[in-house]
Amino acid sequence: MQAPALRWQVPSGQAIAGFGVAGAAGILVLYPIFYLMQAALDVGDPDARPPTAYGLGNFEALPQYSEIMLNTLTVSLAATVMALLFGFVTAWILSRTNVPGRRTLEQLMAVPYYMTPLLGAFAWSLLGAPESGFVNQVWRALGGENALINLVTPFGIAWVMALFEGSVAFVMIGAVMKSMDPALEEASQVIGASRLRTMLRVTLPLVAPGVLGAAILVFAEMLGSFSAALVLGNPDRFYVVTTAMYQLVSQYPPRIPLAAAMGVSLFAVMFLMLFLYRRLIAGRSYVTISGKAFRPRVMDVGRLRWLLFAVCVFYVLLSVALPLMTLAFASVQKIAVAFPAASNWTLANYQTAFTMNAVRAALGNSLLLGVATASIGVVLMGLISWLIYRSRLPGSGFIEYLVMFPQAVPRLVFAFGMMWAWIVFPIPIYGTLWLLLIAYLTVFLPLGVRTISGVMLQIDKSLEECAQMCGAPWGYRIRTVTMPLLCPGLLAAWLLLFIASVRELGASILLMGPNAKVVTPTIVESWFATSAELTAAMALIQTLVIAIAMVVFLALTRRASMYAGE
Amino acid sequence: MPGSNRDKLTRRTLLGASVALASPIACLSARGAYAQAPAKTPTKVLDFLTYADVAKAEQEGAFVFYCHENEAGTAAIAEAFGKDFPKIKTSYVRAQTGALYNKISTERAAGRFDVDILQLSDLAPALDFQKKGGYEIYHSPEAGGYKPEHLSNPAGAFFWTGVTFGGLAYSTAKVKAEEAPKSWKDLLDPKWRNAMSCKISSSGLQFVQWYELRKLYGDEYWQAFAKQRPRGFDSRVQLFDRLAKGDDKVCALAEYAAYVLYKEKGAAIEFVAPEDGLPATPLLVGVVDKAPHPEVAKLFVDWAMSNRGQAFYQSNPHLIYGSLRTDAPPMPTGKRLSDFKLLTPTDYADYLGSRDKFTKDWNGMLGL
Repeated sequence: MQAPALRWQVPSGQAIAGFGVAGAAGILVLYPIFYLMQAALDVGDPDARPPTAYGLGNFEALPQYSEIMLNTLTVSLAATVMALLFGFVTAWILSRTNVPGRRTLEQLMAVPYYMTPLLGAFAWSLLGAPESGFVNQVWRALGGENALINLVTPFGIAWVMALFEGSVAFVMIGAVMKSMDPALEEASQVIGASRLRTMLRVTLPLVAPGVLGAAILVFAEMLGSFSAALVLGNPDRFYVVTTAMYQLVSQYPPRIPLAAAMGVSLFAVMFLMLFLYRRLIAGRSYVTISGKAFRPRVMDVGRLRWLLFAVCVFYVLLSVALPLMTLAFASVQKIAVAFPAASNWTLANYQTAFTMNAVRAALGNSLLLGVATASIGVVLMGLISWLIYRSRLPGSGFIEYLVMFPQAVPRLVFAFGMMWAWIVFPIPIYGTLWLLLIAYLTVFLPLGVRTISGVMLQIDKSLEECAQMCGAPWGYRIRTVTMPLLCPGLLAAWLLLFIASVRELGASILLMGPNAKVVTPTIVESWFATSAELTAAMALIQTLVIAIAMVVFLALTRRASMYAGE
Repeated sequence: MPGSNRDKLTRRTLLGASVALASPIACLSARGAYAQAPAKTPTKVLDFLTYADVAKAEQEGAFVFYCHENEAGTAAIAEAFGKDFPKIKTSYVRAQTGALYNKISTERAAGRFDVDILQLSDLAPALDFQKKGGYEIYHSPEAGGYKPEHLSNPAGAFFWTGVTFGGLAYSTAKVKAEEAPKSWKDLLDPKWRNAMSCKISSSGLQFVQWYELRKLYGDEYWQAFAKQRPRGFDSRVQLFDRLAKGDDKVCALAEYAAYVLYKEKGAAIEFVAPEDGLPATPLLVGVVDKAPHPEVAKLFVDWAMSNRGQAFYQSNPHLIYGSLRTDAPPMPTGKRLSDFKLLTPTDYADYLGSRDKFTKDWNGMLGL
């Protein structure tokens, strides 16, 4: 007697949850985009809102800024090439060779992602500025002339971005390499090809779709990046679209519609890239899925493994250890120099950083937002992932495109749309932490959905179907089957969202309110208007807090899993 | 026109008003003439006078401050006020004047009124804000300590809480004293090409420098200056940070306040006051219309206008604003504003009208 009622309830609950989640995602994404487009087409009275006239005048003015567009494309391309090189080489070493300490190195390779590019940019500007850079000061002290390196250049921007995005490329390319049958490489070597020739002629073509996918994703990230260009580009009179936009809206009188048009044009390029990426990823999945079982094996590279070990260690040194040591060194000086006099040492920067109410409050807010974004995000994005990949609801393909939309829009651009959208929203959330929470949930939709759906796809659908056949309603299936299986993936997504929120800059810089400050924009503000040394202290404090939070989280999850095991 | 007879008459009238407001008795007699002036007697709080209801202000309990000043300076102002009134919780937003004005304008256009006090470093947006009715009119009992030209016209919208001014500065590690620039025109020497810094177009002081030197030397000066390929930065701290580290040899707009701060840190820098004068911009403070904490806002204006507030503004190392109070003591360096020849715009219509040209030219010069 109960079966028919059950059949009637199951699709209903599923549909309500599905449409509710899809509606929430739609509002989060499309509502700000509408305002962004409206601003880009505003050619009326600059003081009036909503616009008094619409037109394409702002887009027609863009050719005047073609040099900035070209700068953006050039530096993004250079950074992408370098990031891929770092990512490919390290991924090959750690997944295909018998390099010592592989597991530790693999974990260390992910650390640059946990640090902000902003921190890297500060550190490398302290190291590589032509006059004051520590490296150049040492160089001159050793008898060298002029500057050994100059990173306050477009190359410097690309270098810093590549170092930090290199770890993303590493993860993506490494995943492809691990799923590749090593028999192909072995066959190449058996017929007499050298290791290098095997890598170039066998490994590289096999991972090409993965590398291209990573290239497009990294390029899209580079197009929207802000902090490295701000720190290393502006002193060299070098602007990219994001820094130019920031400048245009900060000046008096502001040129907001022009900035919005710039952002929309960037968004068009990024959307094209994302479209290509999705096409490539779709194609790749057909190539790699194979019914043939294989055991991943690594090549014995002999003594070369120590050289390869040094390559990986050198990457970690450049992207993590050196920046942190540089900031630590600068943060205990009054005026940061390579050879400080005794009177130059001070702990005042830390004292100031800890006593500034804004910093303390910003750190607290960032942690609170990180926890809230990660916790709500995991539920929301988990449901979205389930909706896209597990439900049979109509329009789930469209939802997938919708939630990936923020990936195609630089966060700074998105923040303008969000600012205009939520400032007129009847519920007063503008200037509060709620707005930042909404902003984070929006801009991190692609990150969360991609992470969770990656795990979800590994779980056989038949397990859920089995529960359904046993009569379990939708909610019960989710709770007792899908969620426990997804747990490790959800925890990983939680951690990723937490870190991404705490280090977020692009969206936060425009949306902070007097009582809703977060730490990364506060660090940028400090760089703008306080001192490099205090900024270094603040950046280190932020990194330390993230590291502590991560350790606590990992300890808690480990303990929880131990109890679960018992 | 500020220089016209009509204007002078207005200023005298306003000076009279300010003096009258300082005295409770005179205030009552002047009530008819100045309908907006508070009718009640000012009360003495700490060591200054206020028309604000202090008990009510403490009940309001919060103070939202939008300020152009650097992070440390803004935080210090909010904290100093909060220290004097511990029952009032202070918070602030800091941004360059242009960005700050855009933010408050966007918020107000959307019907959001979250700000009590606005402090700007540029007359142009302050006058625009006044024109749009953005300020609450408040005649402080402390206004008598100021000349009428240092109050808004008409008075009550905002006042000049201080002046910041800039000259030239150079790195003594990179430049010998005899080779250092002495005048504004010395900046055009080819030896400073790619070795000079200035501020970006959102800076009020940079606009004043451009306006005043253009008046003195014509457009040709800035055209020649652009060929020197200077680098533009957001704040005075960035300029001096670079100068102190030798990244730039010369700073083309060196604020005296930042010079004092960096000199104290032991930086190898020197300040030069060109004979033709030093561009100066006022720091303008006013109560924002529809402020969420109106009594707190009034209390803050009185505090900031008073000798107590002015002493703080003038001596805090992150501020060092020259006080315009007629009875102000010298700055911590022992200098008074009157020791410097300051260049400030007098023809406001012309000054405001040239803003668009400045922004366009300056952005173009800096590669934007």
